[in-house]
Amino acid sequence: MDVTREVLDFLHREAALLDEGRYREWLSLLTEDVVYRVPVRLTRERPPQGGYGGVAEGMLHMDEDRASLEMRVARLETGFAWAEDPPSRLRHFVTNVRVGEPVRTDRGEEVEVRSYLLLFRSRWDKPDFTFLSAERQDLLRRENGGWKLARRLVILDHSTLPTHNLSFFL
Amino acid sequence: MAVKTPMLEELVKGVEEGLLPARIFNDPELFALEQEKIFGRSWVYLAHESEIPKPGDYVLRYVGNNPYIVVRGEDGEVRALLDMCRHRGMRVCRAEMGNASHFRCPFHGWTYRNDGALVGVPAEREAFGPSFNKAEWGLYPIPRLEVFDGMIFGNLDPQAPSLEEWLGDIRWYLELITKRSSAGLEVLGPPQRWVVNTDWKLALETFISDSYHTLMTHRSLIELGIAPRDAKYAMYGEQVHIPGKGHGSMVIGAPPGAKLPPFWGYPEEMLERAKASYPSREQFEVARETRILLITVFPNLSIHNPIRKPDHKYQGAVPMLTFRVWHPLGPGKIEIFSWALVEKDAPEWFKEKTRLSYLRFFGSSGTFEQDDTEIWSLVTQNAGSSQGRGLRLCYRMGMDLTPDPNWPGPGVAYGINFTDANLRNFYRRYVEMLLS
Repeated sequence: MDVTREVLDFLHREAALLDEGRYREWLSLLTEDVVYRVPVRLTRERPPQGGYGGVAEGMLHMDEDRASLEMRVARLETGFAWAEDPPSRLRHFVTNVRVGEPVRTDRGEEVEVRSYLLLFRSRWDKPDFTFLSAERQDLLRRENGGWKLARRLVILDHSTLPTHNLSFFL
Repeated sequence: MAVKTPMLEELVKGVEEGLLPARIFNDPELFALEQEKIFGRSWVYLAHESEIPKPGDYVLRYVGNNPYIVVRGEDGEVRALLDMCRHRGMRVCRAEMGNASHFRCPFHGWTYRNDGALVGVPAEREAFGPSFNKAEWGLYPIPRLEVFDGMIFGNLDPQAPSLEEWLGDIRWYLELITKRSSAGLEVLGPPQRWVVNTDWKLALETFISDSYHTLMTHRSLIELGIAPRDAKYAMYGEQVHIPGKGHGSMVIGAPPGAKLPPFWGYPEEMLERAKASYPSREQFEVARETRILLITVFPNLSIHNPIRKPDHKYQGAVPMLTFRVWHPLGPGKIEIFSWALVEKDAPEWFKEKTRLSYLRFFGSSGTFEQDDTEIWSLVTQNAGSSQGRGLRLCYRMGMDLTPDPNWPGPGVAYGINFTDANLRNFYRRYVEMLLS
């Protein structure tokens, strides 16, 4: 199977696990040295070189490693994580996937992947919903034949977040 | 003098009885009154000086629905200028932060220096003639601006008392944080900003007096061993309020039997610095025994400084410090501005770890705070319901307590945190301002 097809399968499976609340299984898709970051985005003047402006260097919404992601998942399993119990209805729409050239590093075969994310969220019995929009800049690494997520940077298309918390993964 | 409507009558009576109608959290009439009577006349927190260290540095902040450019001029002075061109009212600055010597209005090109002076008007002579005087058309400065230990406050009321008078005795508690080191504090980047469908007072309640909720709201973290199982864990420590001012603080030590390091778990070298920099010996001794410190400055600034760690497996303590503004957007709707801060001269490893301690427990994704905002949102929905709005909520906890005579700090202190004393004091001041 070609790498692009493998990566698409990976991202779609990941989205399904996140939308179905199968967070333990989601953790198994992450490397031990995973870095997961969601920087604060600000309204700034247009950067002269183009690209995403206003990605804050100092402050993030999430800055996670394996231990802290495991903590967040273990929390959801306690039965007392009110922010997600009852759970939000989430749908991760993953599009515009761009797969880089796989490279050999001293950690193994790695590939950079960019995707667009539109995340739908509704809660309670209200008809209201929120959307979060972002680009995800991922690094996948092949481990034991399958791909795992080693790094994710989520570039939000929001300055002020339109939702009352980030109690889920992007 | 405001008209004493039946609603306000009910509030006045309710504060003394410890019974307040739920509608205070979601009511258009009260929101409008608050905007005028409270946010139009209070010292509102704008920014920390470390956000704008160099000449030209600016951040955009709000008092009520008024956008202010908080900017350090070329002369080093900090100012807050209404982000509204004097010609046709356009925003002259649309970025949230940056560095600029001038602000040029995109509508007709009027250009202001970063001290607010109007310095350029296209075709000035041809269009406006010789009688036009640019000096009369500078950006409108906030009526009052004062700084306390790096904390920049603004006030829309030119007649307001000084910031020093406004703060009063809460300064003693603020200094436990601002004077922990002579180097002062710095922000760890810009604030996280997010919107919650709740009321600013409900959010603030959690931080001014409510250690009682920890056991249930944050039960998930108790299950993970991050917060202790003892049902009375959050009961210990002093709850202090400043009469007449509305401010309140909770100064919480280690509960009996809990093995927690002194001085919030800050590194030893920071404790030594604090000993030298605290204004009084009493403050140092209180700080040494403190593990969790919360301070709310009336009306809508809360500070939280708890002992913590970056994750559930980390061995050791890494405290975090956050300032947050509960910015009212509408009835039952706020925007939270939440900053993480640290002492400028803290060791680099500690700065990194304290940032993580903050991110994983507080702020937009924090495992504590995400449950708070869930709960605040639903209280607010009920507070707007036709039956719920009239129901009176219970603010009667600790009404029979007597003050602690041995507390070394100023204000009225109780030796137990399971009390609504700080809230009754807050709402007394709140009602007083609504009525005056």
